[in-house]
Amino acid sequence: MITQRIWHAVAALSLVLAGTQSLKAADQVKVDVSVAKPYLLAGQKQTSYIRVGLTGIPINDTGRRTPVNVAIVLDKSGSMTGEKLRKAKDAALASIDRLGPNDIVSVIAYDQTVDVLAPATKVSDRQALRASIERLSAGGSTALFAGVSKGAAEVRKFLDRQRVNRIILLSDGQANVGPSSPGDLGNLGASLIKEGISVTTLGLGLDYNEDLMTQLARRSDGNHYFIENASDLARQFKYEFDDVLSVVAQEVTVGISCGPGVRPVRVLGREADITGQTVTTYVNQVYGNQEKYVLLEVEVPSQQAGTERNLATVNVSYVNMASKNPDRIARVASTRFTSSASLVESNTNAAVMTSAIEQIAVERNKQAVALRDQGKVEEARKVLLDNAAFLGENAAKYNSKELEDYKGKQRKDADSLDPAVWESQRKAILSEQNVRQSQQGQGQNRQ
Amino acid sequence: MAQQEQEVVENRFREALTGRLRDINTIIVRSVEKRETELLRLLDRGSYDTGALRELVRKSPFIHAVFVLDAAGNRLHPPPDGPLTDYEREFLERSGQIWRDKQTFYNSGEAAGNTAGHGWYTWYWGNGVNLLFWLRDASGRVIGAEYDRSRMLADIVGDLPNSDPSDPDLQRARIALTGGDGVAVYQWGTYEPNPNELPRVRLDLDHPLDAWSLVYFASGAESGQSLGRGMLFNLAVGMAALVLALIGLAFYFYRESTREMREAAERVSFVNQVSHELKTPLTNIRMYAELLEQSLPDSDSKATQQLGVIVSESQRLSRLIGNVLTFARRQNDKLALHRTAGNIDQCISFVLDHFKATLESKGVRTLFTRGAGATVEFDRDALEQILGNLFSNVEKYAAGGGLMEVKSLQDGSTTTIIISDRGPGIPRGQEQKIFEPFHRLSNKLSDGVTGTGIGLTIARDLARKHGGDLKAVGSDTGARFELQLHTPPLTSTLKEPRA
Repeated sequence: MITQRIWHAVAALSLVLAGTQSLKAADQVKVDVSVAKPYLLAGQKQTSYIRVGLTGIPINDTGRRTPVNVAIVLDKSGSMTGEKLRKAKDAALASIDRLGPNDIVSVIAYDQTVDVLAPATKVSDRQALRASIERLSAGGSTALFAGVSKGAAEVRKFLDRQRVNRIILLSDGQANVGPSSPGDLGNLGASLIKEGISVTTLGLGLDYNEDLMTQLARRSDGNHYFIENASDLARQFKYEFDDVLSVVAQEVTVGISCGPGVRPVRVLGREADITGQTVTTYVNQVYGNQEKYVLLEVEVPSQQAGTERNLATVNVSYVNMASKNPDRIARVASTRFTSSASLVESNTNAAVMTSAIEQIAVERNKQAVALRDQGKVEEARKVLLDNAAFLGENAAKYNSKELEDYKGKQRKDADSLDPAVWESQRKAILSEQNVRQSQQGQGQNRQ
Repeated sequence: MAQQEQEVVENRFREALTGRLRDINTIIVRSVEKRETELLRLLDRGSYDTGALRELVRKSPFIHAVFVLDAAGNRLHPPPDGPLTDYEREFLERSGQIWRDKQTFYNSGEAAGNTAGHGWYTWYWGNGVNLLFWLRDASGRVIGAEYDRSRMLADIVGDLPNSDPSDPDLQRARIALTGGDGVAVYQWGTYEPNPNELPRVRLDLDHPLDAWSLVYFASGAESGQSLGRGMLFNLAVGMAALVLALIGLAFYFYRESTREMREAAERVSFVNQVSHELKTPLTNIRMYAELLEQSLPDSDSKATQQLGVIVSESQRLSRLIGNVLTFARRQNDKLALHRTAGNIDQCISFVLDHFKATLESKGVRTLFTRGAGATVEFDRDALEQILGNLFSNVEKYAAGGGLMEVKSLQDGSTTTIIISDRGPGIPRGQEQKIFEPFHRLSNKLSDGVTGTGIGLTIARDLARKHGGDLKAVGSDTGARFELQLHTPPLTSTLKEPRA
């Protein structure tokens, strides 16, 4: 009798526990792990791809939006004089208007020196903030590195992992005071992201250094925008703040442990640490309604038909910005082996393949840029046209509009190698590469 | 004669600029020390687990790479036979110089006379200096961490002052941190030097940044007259420069007084200039300190306390400036009083309130016995200046004395205020001399005490001007000053002040 009662109690308790489990705050990131080929041909060593998709689930309660801590770093060098500066001010002002009293903002302007117009402060005194931006005037050269350093110092005053910590850097020229190589700035970005600070870079006009600006953004997991005309500034600032204000998860670590014999080859399009069987990569932020993905190329050893193999265990951990708690999600990627080629073909995951093709095409696009930089125009053109063919073929195979679009861009790039248009095209190309490698949103998925 | 004076002023100017660069260097040294402490904490670990070391590199924003050598100088990490990450391979390649001459590196500690068991090692690679921080453990193994070069510079830049174009103090200056090639990596100040212009002063940084320098450019208009410009970026810099300037100016006036008098007009204009030059930065300091107070969260009691120090220090400087200006006016016989109706006791309380906190922090309690509550005619500014000088002497010379007593009395048109402390007192025979300008008591007493040496002179001048006097009275228990002022009660008919 008594044992029966105990059993009832235990059962009831476990029901309650199970209930609370399901009532627990919902995950803020949907993790989707899929493999390129759920069936692989038996009896031979082959390549496959594991795709880890991270989709942000928007925080519905607008009152609980993740507070932000942004430093707006503006170029006020001589070349900004006139309309550019006017539009930059307007864009910055409009952005600040979207922030709430719990957000922190600072405004920094640099020429050959750096002026902290508004030190990091809560967005309560809008009048003072406006005034500090309005009084900005242009003239001088470009101490970009110092501008970012000061922006970082301001963000650091209120550095908080529960906030979106970000530097938004606008530049229209070549950095010419202080470190100015893409590598130096990239290293700074890589260091800042370890503190949870991302740098978004907005390149304005045709004179900025796109290598420096894309590296800084990429290595700190920020966005990069190429803004050819100042009249576009407001829109791009809006996209950026759409992202900043929709962060649902931060410090996202994706750890992939490959099964025995499965060799991790490379992560396409992202920086990652690969040591032995373990792959670790890091995404600073996931935005609502946007998917970021990590794509790992693996080499799978030969297997007998009819067996199933665990390719990898994927562990995703992140800080849930709604609950402010760390969440962990584990998934397994596995594949079966068959001797039927048609089974392999019919089961191939088009979404994973599309991502893989896209990333490979970006790599080739980069090779083309490198060739063009060396003055090898014809070789560059050939790589781009081959790339277009490669994309076209796969677009048809996987019925992908995305790949078809990128194919069109390869052709356009191939036609833009002349010195007259290359300057502007190069910026567009690098920006496009970055958007694809980091799956940067372009305002299309937002309400 | 004028040329010699010019030289003195120019030398002092350069000294002051060098002082500023030294203060800026202090910021840099602190920045590096802060990182050193952090690195010591991170690297001081008993075991060197590969996974843990990789995690360290992944998490720490400052560390670009880590390595460990055993006591014989062989590499333990990155693992010599295990799989390496991309950045580890890249690091090994880049730091080849160290691995080739590992013994050199290994011995670099002792070679440099370093007995602390840790230190910085610098080597050139790529386009600049790379910094390694190393630490030797008890069993003789060495762990080293590469301080990311970009990050190091960004940290230093973050700590250095900003360029505020509205700041009048930076309008004629350009200060720069330059790398080994002499090219500025960071700079601030509005003044644009010509491409070929040489800096007025230059200061080479210490190890591990010995390839770097700080340089100071100043516009031609910048001269000794603007010595005292404070700078908000580092109140300490401003304060130090101001004090220096004041001492210089006091010295200048002292020399002037022993020399044939120049044209009075010339001096007046000079003093006016100085007055402006000194007061503007001070007003800025006070204004920004107040602004800061408003923007500080209430919870930050440490910052509030530090702000209190800034405010009280700027008050102290106001007093010093006031003294110098009064001293100059005195020499021109232009010292004039402006009497208004008021309450002496209230005025004393007001000044005491300003000093209370500082005095208490120096172990001096204050006791005020009120006896001058009538409404009388007196110059409030002059009385504040006199009391300020006397109280600050107690603060300087009688710290730890335990008590300062202030007693006020009124008798008809005379107000007497007695201030006594429990400090070492004034040696007999010195009661008169202390009122002479630039007179200091024995070196022992004045050691470490700063000031212009004209405080008491001015206090007595003002008292005499005010129809009274200031006297030091012999006492066995400490110093005792008696201040008398002519203070006609308001009921009596207004008269032109005597003297």
